[in-house]
Amino acid sequence: MFNLSELENDALVEIFNIGVGQAASSMSAIVNEPVRMSVPSISFMNRAEAGRLLAGREATQERICGVSQHYEGAFRTEAILMFPEDKSLEIVRLMVGEAVPLKELTEMEQEAMCEIGNIILNSCVGTLANIFQRELQGSLPRYHIGTSDEILTASGSQADTVLLLHIDFVLEKHQIHGYVAFILDMSALHDLKEQINLYIARAMGQA
Amino acid sequence: MTPKTILIVDDSRVSRMMARQYIVSLHADWQVEEAGTGEEALERVRSIAPDLVLMDVNMPGMGGIAAAEQMRAQLPAVPISLLTANVQTATRERATQLGIGFMEKPITEARIAQLIAPLEA
Repeated sequence: MFNLSELENDALVEIFNIGVGQAASSMSAIVNEPVRMSVPSISFMNRAEAGRLLAGREATQERICGVSQHYEGAFRTEAILMFPEDKSLEIVRLMVGEAVPLKELTEMEQEAMCEIGNIILNSCVGTLANIFQRELQGSLPRYHIGTSDEILTASGSQADTVLLLHIDFVLEKHQIHGYVAFILDMSALHDLKEQINLYIARAMGQA
Repeated sequence: MTPKTILIVDDSRVSRMMARQYIVSLHADWQVEEAGTGEEALERVRSIAPDLVLMDVNMPGMGGIAAAEQMRAQLPAVPISLLTANVQTATRERATQLGIGFMEKPITEARIAQLIAPLEA
């Protein structure tokens, strides 16, 4: 079983906290309102349980829209941004302003959500890469609709043990809740652990 | 001031639309051209003479860095700036090596104003 020491766990949360701070700042610039983000929460579980955990945070198994990107390099991860499906048009409207007619806005909803996901996820992942002093190459964003467990299990076996790192966020003025999740499989976790230890060594002046 | 031509290269239609909207709101008489891929951008600059190229990085096909590199060789005098969600130091360093600018997304009016300011001089 994979373990992180207390110090490694602390460093992991701190690094993702910094990344999430950048993502919140980007999201706030997109929607022109304050965005509040939670401290990252880390759990080891299989994909099916991860999906249920996120779904359980909602009152019902509501349908959500998700934008995912796959990253490779210093470590491998899938990053997913998720919003309730019925809020997605509102978010796109906040991004593009009132100038675009509703029909045109509806036509470009998926594409706009992909771009929003691209900006927010890259803002977070790019910050992680900078902290690790390594590069992470991202895929093009992919758009999904479904329940959170459908979205989480779309790209891997339900039985796979993964690290789920998730962050809740709220667009305060519009009361829109969403979350960002990072999924790492076991082999990727070893690479991430190595990067965390290099970071700790640098922080302690040992590298 | 002579009207300028700006080429926006981005696979996201909504990003092109927003950049266009901000440029036109600042200079209604400027011409805004668009390309959805690096390949298309390289084709477009054969027939238009942009005063500035705004280039996304993560696009299908050759991607923005490779397109900027080729465009720099083709049009050494034309200013090119990356306009990207990729905020990694490695990307900024690549931009510096290529002699091109860097601006992070999201696209805002203030960022567009900053990018086009040198053309207003």
